[in-house]
Amino acid sequence: MGKRKSSKPPPKKVAPKIDTMFTCPFCNHDKAVIAKMDHLTEKGLVLCTICGQKFTSEITHLSEPIDVYSEWIDACEEANM
Amino acid sequence: MATYSREEEDEEIGQEDAWTVISSFFEEKGLARQQLDSFNEFIQHAMQEIVVDEMSSFELEPEQQHVPGEEGEGGEKKTYKISFKQIYLSKPMVTEADGMTSTLFPKEARLRNLTYSAPLYVDMEKTVTTVTLDSQKTEEVEKINKVFIGKVPIMLRSEYCSLHDHTDKELTELGECPYDEGGYFIINGSEKVLIAQEKMSSNHVYVFKKRQPSKYMWVAECRSSPESGARAASACVARMLHSPGTKMEPGCIRVTLPYIRTDIPLFVVFRALGFVADKDILEHIVYDFNDHDAMELLRPSIEEALPIQSKKVALDYIGKRGSAVGVSREKRIKYAQDILQKELLPHVGVDEECETRKAYYLGYIVHRLLLCALGRRNEDDRDHFGNKRMDLAGPLIAILFRQLFRKLTKDVRLYCQRCVDSGKEIQLTLAVKAKTITSGLKYSLATGNWGAQGAQDIRAGVSQVLNRLSFSSTLSHLRRLNSPIGREGKLAKPRQLHNSHWGMVCPAETPEGQACGLVKNLSLMALVSVGSPSSPVLEFLEEWTMENLEEISPSVISHATKIFVNGVWVGVHRDPADLVRTLRELRRKVDITTEVGIVHDIRLQELRLYTDYGRCIRPLFIVEDQRMKIKKRNIEMLQEKDITGFTWNDLVSSGCIEYVDTEEEETTMISMTIEDLVQARLLANNETSVQHMYTHCEIHPSMILGICGSIIPFPDHNQSPRNTYQSAMGKQAMGMYVTNFQLRMDTLAYVLFYPQKPLVTTRAMEHLHFRELPAGVNVVVGIMCYTGYNQEDSVIMNQSSIDRGLFRSIFYRSFKDEEKKQGSLTKEDLECPSPETTLGMRHGTYGKLDKDGLICPGTRVSGEDIIIGKTSPLPDDDPSAASNRFTKRDCSTGMKNSETGIIDQVLLTTNDQGLRFVKIRVRSCRTPQVGDKFSSRHGQKGTIGMTYTQEDMPFTCEGVVPDIIVNPHAIPSRMTIGQLVECLMGKVAAMMGKEGDATPFTPVTVENISDMLHQCGYQKRGNEVMYNGHTGRKLEAKIFLGPTYYQRLKHMVDDKIHSRGRGPVQILTRQPMEGRSRDGGLRFGEMERDCIISHGAAAFLKERLMDQSDAYRVHVCQTCGLIAVANLKNQTFECCKNPSERMKVVQVLLPYACKLLFQELMSMAVAPRLVT
Repeated sequence: MGKRKSSKPPPKKVAPKIDTMFTCPFCNHDKAVIAKMDHLTEKGLVLCTICGQKFTSEITHLSEPIDVYSEWIDACEEANM
Repeated sequence: MATYSREEEDEEIGQEDAWTVISSFFEEKGLARQQLDSFNEFIQHAMQEIVVDEMSSFELEPEQQHVPGEEGEGGEKKTYKISFKQIYLSKPMVTEADGMTSTLFPKEARLRNLTYSAPLYVDMEKTVTTVTLDSQKTEEVEKINKVFIGKVPIMLRSEYCSLHDHTDKELTELGECPYDEGGYFIINGSEKVLIAQEKMSSNHVYVFKKRQPSKYMWVAECRSSPESGARAASACVARMLHSPGTKMEPGCIRVTLPYIRTDIPLFVVFRALGFVADKDILEHIVYDFNDHDAMELLRPSIEEALPIQSKKVALDYIGKRGSAVGVSREKRIKYAQDILQKELLPHVGVDEECETRKAYYLGYIVHRLLLCALGRRNEDDRDHFGNKRMDLAGPLIAILFRQLFRKLTKDVRLYCQRCVDSGKEIQLTLAVKAKTITSGLKYSLATGNWGAQGAQDIRAGVSQVLNRLSFSSTLSHLRRLNSPIGREGKLAKPRQLHNSHWGMVCPAETPEGQACGLVKNLSLMALVSVGSPSSPVLEFLEEWTMENLEEISPSVISHATKIFVNGVWVGVHRDPADLVRTLRELRRKVDITTEVGIVHDIRLQELRLYTDYGRCIRPLFIVEDQRMKIKKRNIEMLQEKDITGFTWNDLVSSGCIEYVDTEEEETTMISMTIEDLVQARLLANNETSVQHMYTHCEIHPSMILGICGSIIPFPDHNQSPRNTYQSAMGKQAMGMYVTNFQLRMDTLAYVLFYPQKPLVTTRAMEHLHFRELPAGVNVVVGIMCYTGYNQEDSVIMNQSSIDRGLFRSIFYRSFKDEEKKQGSLTKEDLECPSPETTLGMRHGTYGKLDKDGLICPGTRVSGEDIIIGKTSPLPDDDPSAASNRFTKRDCSTGMKNSETGIIDQVLLTTNDQGLRFVKIRVRSCRTPQVGDKFSSRHGQKGTIGMTYTQEDMPFTCEGVVPDIIVNPHAIPSRMTIGQLVECLMGKVAAMMGKEGDATPFTPVTVENISDMLHQCGYQKRGNEVMYNGHTGRKLEAKIFLGPTYYQRLKHMVDDKIHSRGRGPVQILTRQPMEGRSRDGGLRFGEMERDCIISHGAAAFLKERLMDQSDAYRVHVCQTCGLIAVANLKNQTFECCKNPSERMKVVQVLLPYACKLLFQELMSMAVAPRLVT
């Protein structure tokens, strides 16, 4: 005899993960900016897959895509000042 | 203190004196104290705090409205501030349908299905600030006093209960049982208990080792929630990773911060808190730089955080990992700063200046982590009872009340905003919706779903219907604890009895099966702290030269003792021993509350003080210099309390006794008995032996048991599961459950005819009022085989004793009905339905109903007799009414079809809506018969297998005949020696005309009892020569015979007996109904089916299961194989829409269940074709 499926408990809330794809500051596309992190040369590159805008910065072993992206945002703001 | 010191008066007390102390404890506290204390605390403090909480007052400004025709802005600006002030709670009241209000007493609430609740009023204040164009400020304050905001259910016998401070006589006159302890609520007439909920204590650092395939080696976590407790706890976890590529080497430490999506390197967090230099940080973690192992362990963490070397960068690093992505640097830094200030370890503080203290605390968390990682300490014990807190009725209702009050203020705000916007005057009395609180509290208490209706994470089963089977079951229910861990969890640890449960949780009383060990019961003398503000303790600490954390240099810490108050590290002290001594003295003088916990952890160099609620505490004798502080003179004063007025509380305040919580207990040295102290003193002169320096003494070790465990005589002689079984069975024993049972209308009630106090008792039973409200009879029990009608846990009972009234009991069942309103005009009617005008009348006899539709008291009823006649009007335009002669539909209540009885009492009254409401109680007398269940007090249950009249029973030379004969095989494997000792002592007690004392952990031995029995002229071990009742021959074996207390359990054959041949079937499946109450069938299941098949009787099986019970004839179309539409009268069949083809139809016999399955499959677009 098959058992009737019991009602499932509500799915556990997953802890939000840190983003790796971002909104492009130029074309404003969502999740368009990806990051390439080269820990050997300590260079990080963010680039928009839609409009091709890019930005490079120095990184450390603690850096993650969000760091490079945030630096880009800061640089943009600097330029707009 | 008296200045004279007579030798005798300063004499040490004896064990008997300890019982005087115990009596005074119960006299003062009763057995539901934790419930009452916690509810009183809610009423007196928590409720007011919630109401005046800054969250609940608010300011309003009119939003700019464009009114056509009116130009521009007005000249002045008005702001409205509304705040809640003093609350007032009245005594429990009832408001009748006609608006009459009167004091409500519990009896009336129970009988009329009302809610025992008191109206709550609050003073409100409306401040209108007007700022005119020339910035002239005027303020106008309007006070509205005593606005009704809802009704709060009141716990019985709490300080706001109508029964508070009444004498026993007055209580009896009010229709209450004077032995009832209160501690429960009455919601819609039903008694509800709030079950204490166990939880992990917050603001406490736990370090756990992670088992292998985990990313981490160790984690140290702290769930932080501030003292005011309005917010959800926020966790801060420090985790030590494996060094990359290895499995055993420790790596860097990272910290989980609330709202931050990844773990942050430890040193980054410190830098964000403003501690930048490595040395500064290390100082906060390691305290002693010579500790090279610990320093080495931090090396990876230092290296990891190398790239981040300033506060700004660190904050930015954290801010980037928060929820706001793509914002400017300033905003990220602000965000990170806010998180560190408000969300990280909020119990340490949420102000701006807390950074130092937070850094110290975080450092402490890591310090503890390192201690474990270095193997200097073991990981923490999750199941230690000191790490647990109980949420009792008070805090539970406070949670609910806070939610509901917030909702109320939100509604008030909304209403006021609307008024302000439309320019109307704010009328606060109209703004307050009292129903929010009234029905919100009622809903949760009635259903047990804790939390607002429809909300997430509601806890079910928090409120339960108070068990009223026997008095002890009621008491035990009021002292129950629940651990909200999933019942299906396979982990054994949380279910096991822990050492730290000693004296707090009963070791015997827990249910068997799924909830085993998760549901616990408080020990007799255990209480639960209600909580007090920490400020008095903090003030004392300031006074006693504690060095504040902000003011010290970290290098001091390693030489000083850290002081924590409710988990908050407040400072250090260099002479902790002295401080602890002073604090203890203060507590013993009641200069600080007695329930404050003082834990001096010498190894960890910590002094932890607790003032929070929910800690289990218990009283102990204070011992100093191996001598108890309590003296004979205190006992004498207690004994003459009518003159001296000396009570338990005076014992506490005079420093004889103090309350110790589970965590503090770990730092004490408790002597088990008074004799142990004497021994220790004697040994003091003997230099060679090991000495115990006692700090406390147990009042009596038998106080570790709970309510049900205390009823067992000689539990220390039983195998432990037997005590657990008896604890469960004692709750099903019939007896006298309350003295006012005649005045109550419980849905089910069992009362024993002549309950007796047991011959053999424990001292604790005195305080459970077991003598006054017993649940059993002393019967003469023989342990022998005799005729063989007592095999496999059945017993033989003396029919003559039964005829004399032994174990006779009464069973009450109450039926309830009310006239319900249907719409605004029509309502149901209590009347005797007449068959001429009433539709859908039942089979039962309506003849026993009186003109008013109610049955008369004294009427004998049985089967499906109707006892309450009720009709509801049929809608005039109902097309389903077969003919117009019916104007009503029958809604009467009948008896349960298998029960008989006599109408005992009829109660006709009105409910809170003023509608007629009736309760009818039916009584039936139950005489013991074959199949009824009985048990001794040792987990030895059995059913009657045979009854013999006296002449057929065996007898002794004195002519003593047993009432019950149990089989000797019940004893050896179960090892209930307690029952044998009880029997032996019972015999002595009966001979000497005294009560036997069967308290556990006393020096009484079997040898003592045997000797006494011998002196009474009986065989030492209780054996007797007996003679066969049938033949008169002497029985070869000596029989162990004597009086034993037996309980009649509620399970009786008359309520269970059931058989059925043919009977009602379900409409859909045509299978027999289920259950005895519906005269259901007995399932012939899969295994029974297998059995017949294996006998090779398949044809029989088919005949029984189909032909004779479930056969059905269908006509099947041979073309398509589906069931055809058959018109047998015309012999026409329809199937397959192609008319040209000649219909070929066959007749098929199949089970109805099969036909139903086919049709259900067809409804799901599956065509089951019968190929014929």
